[in-house]
Amino acid sequence: MKRWLRHSLLLICVVLVAAFVASACGGDNEEESTASPTKAPATGSPTTSLAAGVPELSDGTLQVGSDISYAPIEFYEEGTQNATGLDVDLANAIGKELGVKVEFQNTGFDGIIPALEAERFDVIMSSMTITEERQQQIDFIPYFTAGTGILVQAGNPNNIQSLADLCGKNVAVQLGTIQVDQLNAQNEQCTDKISITTFDQNPLAVEQLSLGRADAVTADYPVAGNDARLSEGKLELVSTQFEAAPYGIGVRKGSTELNAAITKALQNIMDNGEYDTILADWNLEAGSIK
Amino acid sequence: MDVFLSITFDGGAVREFFFNGVILRGVRMTLQVTVLSMFLGAFLGIILAVMRVSHSRILSGFSGFYVWFIRGTPVLIQLLVVYNGIPQMVGSREFTLFLTPFRAALITFSLNEAAYMAEIVRAGIQAIEPGQMDAAKSLGMPNLQAMRRVILPQALRVVIPPTGNEFIAMLKNTSIAFVAGLVELTTAARLIYSVNFKTMELLVVASIWYLIMTTAFSVLQAEVEARMAIVERERVLPLSTRVLRALGGSRER
Repeated sequence: MKRWLRHSLLLICVVLVAAFVASACGGDNEEESTASPTKAPATGSPTTSLAAGVPELSDGTLQVGSDISYAPIEFYEEGTQNATGLDVDLANAIGKELGVKVEFQNTGFDGIIPALEAERFDVIMSSMTITEERQQQIDFIPYFTAGTGILVQAGNPNNIQSLADLCGKNVAVQLGTIQVDQLNAQNEQCTDKISITTFDQNPLAVEQLSLGRADAVTADYPVAGNDARLSEGKLELVSTQFEAAPYGIGVRKGSTELNAAITKALQNIMDNGEYDTILADWNLEAGSIK
Repeated sequence: MDVFLSITFDGGAVREFFFNGVILRGVRMTLQVTVLSMFLGAFLGIILAVMRVSHSRILSGFSGFYVWFIRGTPVLIQLLVVYNGIPQMVGSREFTLFLTPFRAALITFSLNEAAYMAEIVRAGIQAIEPGQMDAAKSLGMPNLQAMRRVILPQALRVVIPPTGNEFIAMLKNTSIAFVAGLVELTTAARLIYSVNFKTMELLVVASIWYLIMTTAFSVLQAEVEARMAIVERERVLPLSTRVLRALGGSRER
């Protein structure tokens, strides 16, 4: 190849790579946060008195940390980066009461509490069950109730009816959830130990059930129910939910004003019926805490 | 608002979890996967390298394609393909159950390492001057025998340093096997801190263990290199210097 041609091609390659890298570094990095559609104004300061004096809301935005892979509570609409689900709708309603924009940030569930403490976002709203250990780290505002459901293959070939029946079986579960604690607690009473495999996200655990590597998946009841519904008949939910416990919106221990504001906003939407409407939209009235 | 910067770090937790059973099992798993994958990968890599330099266009072509394909896709994707993608396609329960996290990781890392080792060994083979092959042939040795008895033993000296690097890289890359549910060292640390929220402390525990493993193998590599040195051509440095050079990497041969 002629020397000038080779040098020009090389120069073009270098320029293209540099331009590519520069565009990635410079511009607005939108991958992490997904702005949920909301009717509140997008500009700086919040518009209602509820949010006045709340430091976290002085920028006019409520940043919500969430593991957005937990349908129907929080998940991405298929093939998009639009967060949707019960938590998203409730958060938007609360945001409207506060007069702020709501932004959901996808976060790994196992590190979500440290991320809140590191002020990565303002609150956690991620189907997080209120437990004593978690309450030592952060404060909670209860807003929903759910228990654990067991998901099995269609026809329930291992005849699993309760946690005790999981002894000696393979169970896939999401890392950092209360279901891991429940399984470990059950394991202490098992003669034949449960083989527990953890995954970063619930869908990955469900995949192992579909493939036959796992005999069961334990997850929050509404989520397990949704997985069964979407499985085209391959998976089914074992009948009842157990150990029902409240979900809480997580706030840092020092965020007293935010805590008070959100509690009031939540109370407002419960009083004016919006809470009921949202739960009905997702067929989750059973989890109402009113 | 409080802007005082305070550091919360529980050193006691590091001590508490350093010899924790879950962590130690994770260390053992990491070592097992690394050692086995390197052995298999090196073995396959040597075969692929010999294929690559052979005169047969089929062998050479296949080897080239394999290396291009495996080096051109991320290990993470390869692992997901082996662990989830292929079982989904095959659809047989026995097959899926056979492919445990450990086996899937072993297969993936071996096949992956083979591609990189193929290039390393090929470079080693090609570093041996053609005169050696001519001399072997003039003694009547067939190609394969010449390769096995003359070329490869000499290529070994050139191959050891990059292979040592690959080993150390593999030790750390095993951490991605968490997507296949393998409980290696990194997963072990995450399992613990997802319950007690001592994220930094557990990550420090894992990091120290990784450092112990990589350092031990760096020193081992330095020793192997020293033993293979041709005494008349290279000076053998004292042990302490060799260790220090191994830890930091040396600028001269």
